[in-house]
Amino acid sequence: MTDKVESKYSKRSSRWKLILLLLIVALVVAIIFCLNIGFAPISFSDILTILGKQIPILNRSINSSAVSTVNETIILQIRLPRVLAGALVGAGLAAAGVMYQGVFRNPMADSYLLGASAGASFGYTLAAIYAGSLALNFFGFGIFQIVAFVGAVLTVFLVYFMSRVGNKVPIATLLLSGIVVNIFILALQTVFELRSGKALIGIVAWIAGGFTNITWTNIYAVFPFVLIGTVLAYFFTKDLNMLAMGDDTAQHLGVNTERVRQIMLLTGSLITGAVVSISGVIGFVGLIIPHMTRLVIGPDHRILLPTSAIVGGIFLMLCDSLARIATGASELPVGVITALAGTPFFIYLLRKRKTIYSL
Amino acid sequence: MVLLSVDGVECRYGSVKILENVSLSVKEGDFVGILGPNGSGKTTLLKSISRTLKPYKGTILLDKTDIYSMKSVDLAKHMAIVPQESNIGFGFAALDIVLMGRNPHMKRFQMESEKDMAIVRKAMNRTNTWYLADRPINELSGGEKQRVVIARALAQEPKVLLLDEPLTHLDMINQLEIMDLVKGLCHTERLIVLTVIHDLNLAARYCNSALLLKDRKVFAVGTLDEVLTSKNIKSVFQVDAIVKKSLVTNSLYVIPLSPQKPSLARKCAIHIICGAGTGTLIMKALVDEGYEVTAGVLNMLDTDYESAELLKIPTVNEAPFSPITEQTKRANLEMINKAAMLVITSVPFGYGNLPNLETSLEAVKRGVRTYVIDEVPIEVRDFTGGKATALMAELRKHGAIFIKHPSELPTLVNATHDLMELRKHAQTEIPGHLKNEPKAITEPTGRKEPR
Repeated sequence: MTDKVESKYSKRSSRWKLILLLLIVALVVAIIFCLNIGFAPISFSDILTILGKQIPILNRSINSSAVSTVNETIILQIRLPRVLAGALVGAGLAAAGVMYQGVFRNPMADSYLLGASAGASFGYTLAAIYAGSLALNFFGFGIFQIVAFVGAVLTVFLVYFMSRVGNKVPIATLLLSGIVVNIFILALQTVFELRSGKALIGIVAWIAGGFTNITWTNIYAVFPFVLIGTVLAYFFTKDLNMLAMGDDTAQHLGVNTERVRQIMLLTGSLITGAVVSISGVIGFVGLIIPHMTRLVIGPDHRILLPTSAIVGGIFLMLCDSLARIATGASELPVGVITALAGTPFFIYLLRKRKTIYSL
Repeated sequence: MVLLSVDGVECRYGSVKILENVSLSVKEGDFVGILGPNGSGKTTLLKSISRTLKPYKGTILLDKTDIYSMKSVDLAKHMAIVPQESNIGFGFAALDIVLMGRNPHMKRFQMESEKDMAIVRKAMNRTNTWYLADRPINELSGGEKQRVVIARALAQEPKVLLLDEPLTHLDMINQLEIMDLVKGLCHTERLIVLTVIHDLNLAARYCNSALLLKDRKVFAVGTLDEVLTSKNIKSVFQVDAIVKKSLVTNSLYVIPLSPQKPSLARKCAIHIICGAGTGTLIMKALVDEGYEVTAGVLNMLDTDYESAELLKIPTVNEAPFSPITEQTKRANLEMINKAAMLVITSVPFGYGNLPNLETSLEAVKRGVRTYVIDEVPIEVRDFTGGKATALMAELRKHGAIFIKHPSELPTLVNATHDLMELRKHAQTEIPGHLKNEPKAITEPTGRKEPR
């Protein structure tokens, strides 16, 4: 038995690579599947042709004469950015969730708990009331996105520095500060909403979250945050493993715990701020996807972080596709779908493997 | 020669001193027990040595390098810590946990090499945890978990091993196994081991030196013989304790008596006839009640003799393992005559100590109030062919009160004492409910116990 254990561990690296490869294949398949969903019927072969044409070298051998330009526009300008935005936002939220849960050793922790969503919503509300007509474009971010992003990041920082004692940040203090700041900002939010007049409808719709007005510029703006943030976080996954043993033990194993915590908080809040700014507040993904993935794949952050990101991407993409078609002409908010679809599956996993959670 | 030296360390939380001027020097192969009551600074000291709590003053040098000038990853190559309770989340397998011990030796992107795996396997074999390798850590028992954490510490290949109360929540067999393991490692790997430990007996048995803390300062430091004395235990823990060398383990062992109570000073003498340890708790109880206790005749080296010495009780004594002579018998009777009451414990009687019973009979005949603790029937502990049994019957006939259990004694003695006081001082009428002297075993009436 024990030799089996040893060989299992020595093959771990290649097994992880295989899992990631399979998940990337699943992601691509899911993207193509989601592109097929919509009111205009466009066949898979047309979708593949349209996509193939976009790939250099490969496009020479593709004959696209059979595909209508209308379909091409629908796929490339409407469905693809929306599908990719779902993948990107889902991946970002799930990756940030892994970081927060790892850093705080707390299954309840996610970037929303530290005020990211409240800050973003409040920022968006201010922008909608006072700067709605301001046309601004900053690396693909419009005025609403910029203010939401700044609101999210600032709030997390505020919470972090509020709970700092000396050069340490006790976890309980941090989570409590997060809750308090959330409540405070929500109150402010209510005050401003009441004075917002016509802008209120837009604000409420944005807070509910969704991908209705996604453009390619949004994708270009957010992609670097999610990619660079996740790669940066991957450098610290071993430290996250040791942080799960408690701060003192992690330190005794050579981890600079305070630095790791700062980097993870910064990275996580930047990712969250970026994705929230284009999608609005979508709950559930950042909290539940890391848990689901952990239940299946185990607690090691070296594999947990990338798999959670991909699973989160696939999950939100599928949920958004469902939101598009679920109730006919009017869309359901995607947050409703994520909760409705995710909860039963999560409960199933939790019941099946409840031994893992002794928290 | 690896050396850990703690020099003049003072720690503070804010402006409150929680450790003052602690100095200590430990060399490889030393197994040091850090002892002291709760709040004396033991864990603080361990924290400052493990680079968790930076001292306000003083230095901690490992091989002449200040540990606070080292990077945490470099210190982790030399020092491993077994925390009090391992806070382990998210269900890692035991092998994952132990592999984490290799972290200080690995680069950021390295996966564990075969060499790391071999070191981990060796560490887990030494701690007998390899069979647990793929079990989730949160499903292991307390002892298994502690052994896994020790394996992780070993995987760090440290020179210094710090343990913070490693035996909390462990049962007897696990306590012994963990201490055997650590002692063995200390010896074979030439580790410096420091452990915070509450169990003085285990400390005495396994450690080769000790640091005793009191009120955040060093009270005593040195070998166990030097540190673990009745006097030190009394000063530091406020507990009377008998410290003896065990012939079985060849180490000291501590028998704590009950903690000291504020005494009432009753100015009334009670003499105790005991031996072989039967009188120790009785002497302690009566001293706590405020009586002037005397004892005899006791053989030197007898447990009760040593207890009497510890409690500063005057005794009439005889050479070790020798029968009572006429001379000591007479001295004992004189001592009994000065006492207001006499207590005879359930000591076995042989020809050597039979004179004590003869003396007792004389005392009873003279009217000394006598209590006989008859916990073990005299027939069972009579090794004089019936002579002791006959004397016991005589004692009963002349008015000695027989009680079944020593715990009844203080109440009866107190009642007798109060009655004597009343008779002595009050010419006036004795209250009716105190007129009858307490009878054997019956609950004394009217005496109000302090609640």
